[in-house]
Amino acid sequence: MLDDSRPIFLQIAELIEGDIVAGALAEEAQAPSTNEFAAFYRINPATAAKGINKLVDEGILYKKRGIGMFVATGARTRLLERRREEFFHDFVQPLTREARRLGISADALADMINRSNSDPVLTERSAGRWMH
Amino acid sequence: MNRAVSVARMQLINKWTFLGIPALIIAGSFALTYAIWLILPSDADTRVSGAAQSVVWYFLALGIQSLTYTFPFSQAMSVSRRTFFIGTTGLFAVVALGISLLYFVLGRVELATNGWGQNGQLYFLGWAAESPAAVQILFNFLVMLALYMTGFWFATVYKRWRATGMLVAWSIIAVVLVGLIALAGWQGWWPQVGAWFAAQTPLSVSGWTALLCAALAVGSYLTLRRATP
Amino acid sequence: MDALTLPPVIELTGVTKRYKDTKAVDGVTLRIDGGKIYGLLGRNGAGKTTLMSILTAQDPETSGTVRVFGQHPYENDAVLSRMCFIRESQKYPGDFTPAQAFKSASLFFANWDQDFADRLVEEFALPLKRRIKKLSRGQLSAVGVVIGLAARAELTFFDEPYLGLDAFARQIFYDRLVEDYSRHPRTIILSSHLIDEVANLLEHVLLIDQGRIILDDDAENIRGSAVTVTGEETNVAAFTAGRTVLHRERLGSLASVTMEARLGSADRARAADLGLELSPVSLQQFVVRKTTAAAGRAGVEPRTVTEPSELEVAP
Repeated sequence: MLDDSRPIFLQIAELIEGDIVAGALAEEAQAPSTNEFAAFYRINPATAAKGINKLVDEGILYKKRGIGMFVATGARTRLLERRREEFFHDFVQPLTREARRLGISADALADMINRSNSDPVLTERSAGRWMH
Repeated sequence: MNRAVSVARMQLINKWTFLGIPALIIAGSFALTYAIWLILPSDADTRVSGAAQSVVWYFLALGIQSLTYTFPFSQAMSVSRRTFFIGTTGLFAVVALGISLLYFVLGRVELATNGWGQNGQLYFLGWAAESPAAVQILFNFLVMLALYMTGFWFATVYKRWRATGMLVAWSIIAVVLVGLIALAGWQGWWPQVGAWFAAQTPLSVSGWTALLCAALAVGSYLTLRRATP
Repeated sequence: MDALTLPPVIELTGVTKRYKDTKAVDGVTLRIDGGKIYGLLGRNGAGKTTLMSILTAQDPETSGTVRVFGQHPYENDAVLSRMCFIRESQKYPGDFTPAQAFKSASLFFANWDQDFADRLVEEFALPLKRRIKKLSRGQLSAVGVVIGLAARAELTFFDEPYLGLDAFARQIFYDRLVEDYSRHPRTIILSSHLIDEVANLLEHVLLIDQGRIILDDDAENIRGSAVTVTGEETNVAAFTAGRTVLHRERLGSLASVTMEARLGSADRARAADLGLELSPVSLQQFVVRKTTAAAGRAGVEPRTVTEPSELEVAP
C-alpha cells in the first residue's frame, strides 16, 4: 500500500484524496480518525496526523471540535481539478516522451488512446498514485 | 522508601524460596530430631541437638540467592541499587529477627516441657542462658544476619567481578587468616588469644558480630553500587 | 508546566563507554525531546544496548554527561521510576512465572495496566503459570513485551523485543504498540535491526554505528532522501555527478548507484531522457548503505564523524 519513495504523510493524504475523488468518502461524511489510520496502515500516529492536517490546511477536510474530521463541501470538485492538472505532467508527458523514443507519431498515439478507451479492461483505474 | 518496601514485596512474591524453605527446614529439623529422640533410648543426660542451627546456616544461601536471583530483575523494574539493597537486606533482617523470636519462645517451651518430654535441648541456648532475654534474641539474630550478609557480600563480589573477584576475595581472606595465625604463633600470643576468647560473653560476641555485619553491609553496598545486571 | 521550560527527555554530551580497549559508545552527543516513537537502529554490536543501559543507569558511563528528565539517572529513583527497560537478554528470578513477573511490575510501575497486560497475555498465548526458564525464546520475548507495554512508563525502551517471535506475534506487538501509543502518548525508543518491519512505526530515526550516532533525523525526512539510479554507466555517472554517493554497483556496462538526493520533477525528466531507472530506497536499504559508507570512511579516516549537513543534499 505504502511505498518508500516519498514521505508517508503525503501518501496518506493522497489515499484520502483518492477516496474522496472515487466517491467512497462523500462530502460532509466523517473521515477516519488519526488513530484509525495509524492502526489500519500500521504507521506512526503522528505521521497519520500530519497527512490529515495537510488536507485540513488545504480545506479538503475540516475539523468539528470534539467529533472528528469531515469532508468539506466542494472538496471533490477541487480535487478533480487539481488531479486533471497533474495528469498532464504525471501521465501525458512521460507517455509522449516514451512514444518519441519508440518512434510513435502523434497520430498513431492518438489512435492507440482511442483503442484503449474502447477496451473495458484497460479503462479500469489502475494505480492512482504515481511519482511526481 | 516506598520502593524499598516494594523490593521486599517483590522478594516475597515467590514465597516458596524465601519463606517456604526456611519454614520447612525449621519444621523438618524439629520433626527429625524429635523422631531420633523417640527411637533412641534416653539416658540421664540432656540430649543436645544442633539441628536447629540448620536454618541459621540457610541464611548463607539466602544471602546468595536473594542477590543473584533478583538483582538483574530489579534493574529491569527500574529500581536503584541502593533501594534494592535496603529493601532486600531489610526484609531478611526482619525474617532473621522473626526466627530469633520464635527460637526464644521455643527455647522457653523446651524448658517448660522438660525438653519436649524427651529431656532434649534443641532451641535453648545453654551458653547464653544467664544473659537477659534480649541478648539471647540479639545473639541469634546477629549470627543469622552475619551469615546472610556473608552470602550477600560474596554474591555481589561475584556479580561485579565474576570468577576473578571470587579468586581475589578468597586469596585475600586466606592470606589474612594465615598471616594472623602465623603472627600469633611467631609472637607467642596464643595464651592471650585463648584468654581473650574465654573472656567473651554473649553480649560481646553479639557486638563483634554486629561489627562484622556492618562491615559486610558497607562492603556489599559499595560493591553493588557499580555492579551491572 | 510550560512545555518550553521542560528539559528534553534525554540529553547526552560526549558520552563514552569503554570496555578495556573497545569503545562500545564513543562520544555520543544527542538530544531527544520526547513524545515520539524513536527507532534506535544499527547492526548487532553497534552500541544500541550499551547506550540504552547507560540511559537507564543499568550500566554507568565512562565519561561524558548523561541527563534523563534533566537529571543524572544513576542511582536516581526519581528518574528511574519514570522509565522501563527490559533487556533483550533479561534475566528473571529463578523460579518466577510470567504471572509473578507481572505482579512485580505492578509494584514498581505507577501506570501499570493489568487489564492491558491480561489482554496481551491472551493474544500472545503466554502460559502464565509455567516457569519463565522453561519458556521458549519467543515466549520469553513476549514476557518482556507485555511488561514494556503495560508498564506505560513515560520513557520506554524496547531492546530487539521480537527475538523468537513469529511474524504473527510480531504483528501483534506492532499493532498494540501503535494503538496504545495513540491513546497514551509517551516516549518510546525501539531498538531494532529488522528495520523494514518497524520503519513505518517510527517518527524519528537514530542510527548508531561503531558506538557513534551517524544519523539523527525524522523518518519522513529520510524517506525519499535517497534514490537508486540504474542505467548505462556513463549516463549514471553524468546524473550522479556531484551527489553524495552511498553505494555503487556495476554489471557490465550497467551501473547502479545509490545517492542521497531529493529529486524534483526536472531531475526525474532528465533521468527519463537519459534512459535511467529511478527506484526508491527503503529505510532499511538506506541504513545499510549509510552504515557501510560510514565504515568505508572510518577505514580511511577513523575520527571522521558524519556531519548533519552532509545528510541534507538539496535536489
